[in-house]
Amino acid sequence: MQTKDISHLLDFVVDRLEVGIFAVDVEMRIVLWNHFMASHSGKHSEDLLGKNLFEAFPELPNEWLKKKINNVFILKNYAFTSWEQRPYIFQFQHNRPITGGVDTMQQSCTFLPVKNTQDEVEYVCITLFDFTDTAIFQQQLNRVIEALKIEKAEQLQLSKTLEEAQNQLMQSEKMSSIGQLAAGVAHEINNPIGYVYSNLGTLEKYVQDVFGMIDLYEQAESAITDEATRVRIKEAREKLDMEFLKEDLRALMNESKDGITRVKKIVQNLKNFSRVDAFDEWCFSNLHQGLDSTLNIVNNEIKYKADLIKEYGDIPEVECLSSQLNQVFMNLLVNSAHAIEERGTITIRTGMREKEVWVEVADTGKGIAPEHIKKIFDPFFTTKPIGKGTGLGLSLSYGIVQKHHGRIEVQSEVGKGATFRVWLPVRKPQGKQA
Amino acid sequence: MLTKDQRDALQEIANIGMGQAGEVIARVLNEFVTLSIPRVLILKPNLIAPALQRIVNSEAVSAVRQAFHGNLRGEALVLFGAQRCNDLAGLMGYEEKIDHATEMEILLDISNILVGACLGGIAKQVNADIGFSAPSLMADHVPVNEILKISDVSWECALLLEVNFKLEKLSFACHLIILMPENELKTFAGKIDRFMEAF
Amino acid sequence: MAISILVVDDSPMARKMLIKALPAHWNVKITQAGNGKEAIAEFRAGKVDLMFLDLTMPEMDGYQTLEAMRNEGLKCVVIVVSADIQPIAQERVLKAGAAAFIKKPVDIQKLEPILRQFGLLE
Repeated sequence: MQTKDISHLLDFVVDRLEVGIFAVDVEMRIVLWNHFMASHSGKHSEDLLGKNLFEAFPELPNEWLKKKINNVFILKNYAFTSWEQRPYIFQFQHNRPITGGVDTMQQSCTFLPVKNTQDEVEYVCITLFDFTDTAIFQQQLNRVIEALKIEKAEQLQLSKTLEEAQNQLMQSEKMSSIGQLAAGVAHEINNPIGYVYSNLGTLEKYVQDVFGMIDLYEQAESAITDEATRVRIKEAREKLDMEFLKEDLRALMNESKDGITRVKKIVQNLKNFSRVDAFDEWCFSNLHQGLDSTLNIVNNEIKYKADLIKEYGDIPEVECLSSQLNQVFMNLLVNSAHAIEERGTITIRTGMREKEVWVEVADTGKGIAPEHIKKIFDPFFTTKPIGKGTGLGLSLSYGIVQKHHGRIEVQSEVGKGATFRVWLPVRKPQGKQA
Repeated sequence: MLTKDQRDALQEIANIGMGQAGEVIARVLNEFVTLSIPRVLILKPNLIAPALQRIVNSEAVSAVRQAFHGNLRGEALVLFGAQRCNDLAGLMGYEEKIDHATEMEILLDISNILVGACLGGIAKQVNADIGFSAPSLMADHVPVNEILKISDVSWECALLLEVNFKLEKLSFACHLIILMPENELKTFAGKIDRFMEAF
Repeated sequence: MAISILVVDDSPMARKMLIKALPAHWNVKITQAGNGKEAIAEFRAGKVDLMFLDLTMPEMDGYQTLEAMRNEGLKCVVIVVSADIQPIAQERVLKAGAAAFIKKPVDIQKLEPILRQFGLLE
């Protein structure tokens, strides 16, 4: 090929390549401006050759671009910019009427040092590549990735919810199978307990009667004329220590009755626990009255351990199964008393919010460890030593509160105490099963 | 891989190349630059990552890679520790407050300048003609030992040339690492031999 | 009379390159040292008219060598030869007592005027 032809070929290629090509000299004067640059900028090479680049295009990032080009003159090495960090240098329209998302043409540029024979840089040639398609694609990709991230988070949440639901289901299954066990045991024990209790009552009466007889005999003692007999009786009385015997018999009777009563209560608890879903009488009752009567019952458990503070709020009557609620309150109060090691305070508060009433029992006992809080409503869960407590109280209470369509909240700090708050709807929700 | 003489020559060639790089950075930024003595190592690829970890004493790094080709072929990495480029921004013609994209642009630019000067200097010493690809971001605040997981090294063993640059007045430092695959090393060794013959 | 030259650089390659770059037909006697300590030892052992000194060396670098020489009152023309060619480096080196600074790789065109300046070359 002849030199003339090669030259023509090169001119054509540089001018018509679908790439922006322009060059500046050391004074930043434009010495080359190809067709791509002309058609996108609206300014043609005839008007631009010899003009200062920054005067012709004042909207260019002046300081940075000057330094960038100067560095190429000084360092004599290529330099680059990428659309990813700098979306554009020249604000050209992109020609994609359908796809949106980017405002102007996204550009990546190369800065080329054009050296003379003395190895000095005479010109810097800048090539400008249209990266809009890549940018749009990248944007779409990013959007998909973001959407996937959100979906992943939602799925995680879903699986958490499922896990919780599963736990609750297992909990209620546990409760129902234990309920069946409890019902069986209660049934078996009930009869023997029943007649031990009734026998004790009878025994007590008989003992009274026998003592009555002995009193009569004692009174008749003075009428005995036989000295030897009198002495024998006196010796026997002293040997037996009748007085002490009478006292002790009474004490024994009382303790036995106590013991049996306790057993009866436990059996009753068990029966209640297993019959939580049995039909009972719903009615509007005064919770404060219930609390007070419950306090009477548990007074013995509490009085040596805690000071009682009552902060009763202004609450309406609540539709409920009051004896069952009382059981809940008793359970909470007894738990609080047990949690207090030496001495402390138990505070009972009540209040109302919107359509719910709450009853709170707070103590200054030893608190519940974080790893236990999740388990306290589990049947048979207890931190007490063996023999001291069945671990049924709270799970039973939980069941009762559920039956009332309420909830129990717990807050505790180890060493500081625990607060239980029972929320109850004022009215039983319509259309729901008891 | 390389004889003692070749290593010695390479060390000197690297000195000169790095010295030139330091000079150009100083000229571009108008600040004094401290250069460490270039370290020359020949390593198996699985040892590169631990070597990098020892060299770059930082938790997380950002990395720029730039390939070079021609009479010598390989990759240059520039590793930046956890520093803010705000001071640098002013020196390079940006406004003082910069966003993340601008910070990345600065890292890419500094890397390009460093690699061009350093490798260019080395290439000139051994009469090699090389060109560069555009620099690209390899990692943004990633633990050092993950850098070369990102780009798996598929060579048998490699030449590792390392130097670190520190700006005296500002808290800016980076490590330049030049990696060359084994088969390129042979070519390079040949060039080093010719270099030595001249003396 | 032969001029006594001491070339100090930890790289044998660098020393070779420097020596190769010296003017031809120059009447000189050349000794080499691998770091500042060796250089000073050489100094004490005999006369040194001209020293080519590298900056980055182990044990005792160029700056330390210049300082040691100043403290001991060892005098000669010191031309620092270094790859670290920033203007500030040059300033510091001249302040420390060097006579001149030349960049690596040594170019005889640049070296000759300096030698002439110090009367080491006609």
